[in-house]
Amino acid sequence: MRKGFIFNHNKCVSCNACSAACILENEWNVYPRNIFTFNSDVDLLTPVINLSLACNHCESAVCMEGCPASAFSRESVTGAIIINEKKCIGCRYCQWNCPYDAPKFDIDKKVVSKCNLCFSGILEGRQPACTYACPTGALNFGEITDSGSKYIYSWFPDKNLNPAIEFTASGYSNTLKTVPENIFAQNEPQRAVNKKNILNEPSLLLFSFLATISVSTTIYSFVEGVFPGKMIFIPFLILTGLVSFFHLGKVTRSWRSLTNLRTSPLSREIAAFIIYSFTGLTAVLFHIPVLLIAASLAGLIFLVMIDGVYVFSNNNRSIIQHSGQTFITGLLMISFFSGLIFPFIFIALIKLWLSVHCLRERKINSNLFGIRYLRIVFLIISGASIISHISFPGTVIVFVFLLGELIDRVLFYFDFNPLNINTLITEQQNIERDEKKGG
Amino acid sequence: MEEFLTACPRNCYSTCSFKVQVENNRIVRLLPYSGNLATPEGPCIKGLSYIERAHSPERIIHPLIRRSSGNFEQITSGEALDIIAERLVSIKEKWGSHSILWYKGSGMSGLTNEIGYAFWKEFGGTTITYGNLCWPAGLEAVRLSFGSVKHNVPWDLVNAKTIIIWGKNPAETNIQEIAFIAGAKEKGCKIIVIDPLRTLTVDKADIHFSPKPGTDGALALAIAGILIDKDLIDHEFIAKNVKGFAELKDSLHILPADAETITGIPADSIIELAEIIGKNGPLTILPGYGLQRHQNGGQTIRAVLLLSALTGNIGKSGAGFNYANLQSYIYDDLKEPMSYYPDYENDMPFRRTISMAKLGEDMLNSCHPELKAAWIERGNPVLQSPDTGNVKKAFSNLSFKVVVEQFMTDTAAMADIILPAKNMFEQADIIGSYWSPYIQYKPKVLESPGETLPESEIYFHLAKKLNLNISFNLLPQPGNENIDKWLEKRISSCSDITLSQLKKSPVLAPGLQQIAYEDLKFDTPSGKIELYSEEAKVKWGISPIAEYTKIIPLHDEKRYPLALITPNTGSRIHSQFGNLKIIKKTNPEPAVRISHHDARFRNISSGDKVKVYNQTGFLLTKAEVSNRVPAGLVVFPNGIWFNENGGVNRVIAGKETDMGYGAAFHDNRVEIERIE
Repeated sequence: MRKGFIFNHNKCVSCNACSAACILENEWNVYPRNIFTFNSDVDLLTPVINLSLACNHCESAVCMEGCPASAFSRESVTGAIIINEKKCIGCRYCQWNCPYDAPKFDIDKKVVSKCNLCFSGILEGRQPACTYACPTGALNFGEITDSGSKYIYSWFPDKNLNPAIEFTASGYSNTLKTVPENIFAQNEPQRAVNKKNILNEPSLLLFSFLATISVSTTIYSFVEGVFPGKMIFIPFLILTGLVSFFHLGKVTRSWRSLTNLRTSPLSREIAAFIIYSFTGLTAVLFHIPVLLIAASLAGLIFLVMIDGVYVFSNNNRSIIQHSGQTFITGLLMISFFSGLIFPFIFIALIKLWLSVHCLRERKINSNLFGIRYLRIVFLIISGASIISHISFPGTVIVFVFLLGELIDRVLFYFDFNPLNINTLITEQQNIERDEKKGG
Repeated sequence: MEEFLTACPRNCYSTCSFKVQVENNRIVRLLPYSGNLATPEGPCIKGLSYIERAHSPERIIHPLIRRSSGNFEQITSGEALDIIAERLVSIKEKWGSHSILWYKGSGMSGLTNEIGYAFWKEFGGTTITYGNLCWPAGLEAVRLSFGSVKHNVPWDLVNAKTIIIWGKNPAETNIQEIAFIAGAKEKGCKIIVIDPLRTLTVDKADIHFSPKPGTDGALALAIAGILIDKDLIDHEFIAKNVKGFAELKDSLHILPADAETITGIPADSIIELAEIIGKNGPLTILPGYGLQRHQNGGQTIRAVLLLSALTGNIGKSGAGFNYANLQSYIYDDLKEPMSYYPDYENDMPFRRTISMAKLGEDMLNSCHPELKAAWIERGNPVLQSPDTGNVKKAFSNLSFKVVVEQFMTDTAAMADIILPAKNMFEQADIIGSYWSPYIQYKPKVLESPGETLPESEIYFHLAKKLNLNISFNLLPQPGNENIDKWLEKRISSCSDITLSQLKKSPVLAPGLQQIAYEDLKFDTPSGKIELYSEEAKVKWGISPIAEYTKIIPLHDEKRYPLALITPNTGSRIHSQFGNLKIIKKTNPEPAVRISHHDARFRNISSGDKVKVYNQTGFLLTKAEVSNRVPAGLVVFPNGIWFNENGGVNRVIAGKETDMGYGAAFHDNRVEIERIE
């Protein structure tokens, strides 16, 4: 039978002994074990539940699948998912993919660290440090069931990854009665959903946007039957490539990002970029028309691959309904640059519909309303100018159009929501609070 | 790698057993030891931090002397002891030995602590302290009622049908008890917490009552009235085992409506609570030490205790009044709380004039002779005694201060000479517990670093230098074999337990009652549970029946409207552990907790710098606005060092409790304002 963590929240008081033991045993710079608290701001209507979680050493380890550098491996005896820090390139993609917030970026070492299940301790006959250190017996290590009933939290993410954890408390309900009533609840509880912030990776945003422009101009050139200008195309491509390096912790190991083409969408994206760049450059340098066709095709595939990187991390790991994705933006740019009115209108309408959809979905982020409207206005202006052939100075229209698409990409990063337990806990907390207040 | 079985000697309920793995004179790992049924899952985060604490680069491992520049300078152990011997002799000659204060805290428990007594007695006596900062009011209350202080073994708690955790926060201060509370709850036990604060323990409860601080006695007495009114009492038990029922019945006058006014708890809820207490037994009450840190603390504990007596919840499984369990203290001549009381006849040549609760004031007022010097071991009185202003002044007035310490604490920083102190792994000892029923041996597993000497050896060398003639029975020779011999001899006179037995595993105290008072024998003058205590009247000048007295706050409530509570936290034992990196890493920065209501009124947000102040002094720290604190109350834990924006005793006045010579830490009032 499979072994894993066994947790009973009835005995957990968030004392942090597990976290301390983890750090002391492994001498981490980071905190591989999280103690999540459901209702940490102690709203009286909802129970306070503590969850001590580190890596769940999933059967389908998405961190390992997604890692472009093949830095993860599974230890054969214990089934522990281990990261080899010497192989990690510090791209942090695993942090997007893990719904349990297990991979931690070590700012000093510039690589990711994570729970290793204290596997060498297990091989020596001990338990993982966090489990033997728990003073109440809330966190244990042992044989776990594989039935779905072990997840007592309806909101526990990604059960299909088959994480090696079992919860033994029998659910939770708010039975706590406070006397005098309302002696503590004196403020509106926090509602802000804290999600993984991808916006702090501006180099990725820039990379994907520049890539979209580059690919569209390549295809535009092909449609127009000319070759892109060397003096623009080459520096632009180099810039795009360079930007992608900026977010890596270990630039010198960046070659490793091609080592996991089999399962990592990031690896594939980088490979597609290289193929596109190589064919594009050769075509432009030596004026080989066949290679321009190849580059155009590779470019389209590359854009699909970029989107795939995000789809893999998205909260339901399915197609993202967002107008800021690179493939659709790429198509719009091609029709815009080529002046193809009907394709442009068709794609623009899809984008418009998606933008309005987002606008309605994200009511909470009212601070973004202005920008969301601006994005729609820019799209309409661009469309109108194409249809009516109004002869604005061309550069102004191009500028307005590209700015609109850039905003769209920024919004994509803002709305992009990798599956994450932190987000789910706050969302669920708000749902339960609303239900109780309503009832 | 070697593995040893040991036990944690901190001033803490749990007194955990654990296994320690040692390699190259370094602690590698701490593992739980399941043979101790009270702590089968092992120690808490503080225990885990010994890995760092034992080998911390910040540890003092060489004697330090303060030079005229004010800075400390390293000297050898020989030099330090020479200087100390010379100064002690000259002070004694000039002002007499009573001009020296020998102050010992609760930093490390163990039988070897007695060795100091032998030395100072032979030296001619010193001034020492009486009382205790922590728990004596409640201890005395329990002793007056039961004649002794004990309760059921911790693991019996799972048999309770109702548990009332009254002014205790085991989630932070007795974490192993949480396992038994959770175990009881799984079997359908009702968990009730009575605490002004929404503590981490409350998160595990079914009902939380939040009375105004210092009013618990009124709540208990109102419940007693309801129990009698509704006939929810155990007549047979009372008839056989309780003294003073009639007097109690006559004295009860707090009606639920009165109690509502006093405590803030609605009358209906008080009646509901009384019904649970009366009907849903067996009932175990877990009173903490928080509710007795008031001027009315002793009477409060007596009032709560009588609920257990009236409902017959004493001497049965799943029942009891678990204030403290001193059954393992078999080696003490005089058990707490009696050992805290000044006893001029038996303790000559010590002269006990200094109150722990009013240390600063009493030190400053001492005369015939005035205090000139202090020797401080196992304690941090500059930080932990009430009224920091006066305590600091009193210590600076002294011309010679020796502090035996492991780290540069706020007390050590005021020393003239610091002697490095052993840690728990560097000398063998035997310890009891005030919660679990085990007697435990903790072996020597590490060689002391640098020139660190255990107190026993410091005293041995000093005695030699001072030509004091002390027998081996009282003052062992250096070397751990001699400590083992000394321990062997020390315990052989008290029971049949041998050292080799203790070395194998923790030993249950001889004569242990797993279910305390199951024989229904009480060591009181009447042989019964005394709800009416003549001794209370004679010894403390208070009503022989428990009564509720309204607290007179120690500060002007109009100017300082916020009540201040200074609890212990999960990451510290008083002032220990907070300086360690692993504790800092896993715990938020210390802050004064204030309710949203009071914070809004003062324009304070979380993270703001604030000044907490009253007539006694002021404290600069950070604020944390919290839903865990009711309006009118603020919370700042004790034990936070000055350099961490701590030192709550700056705003605590020195005041004794109604009995037991405790300190009324929780009767202080403060105001808070935001500072830019």
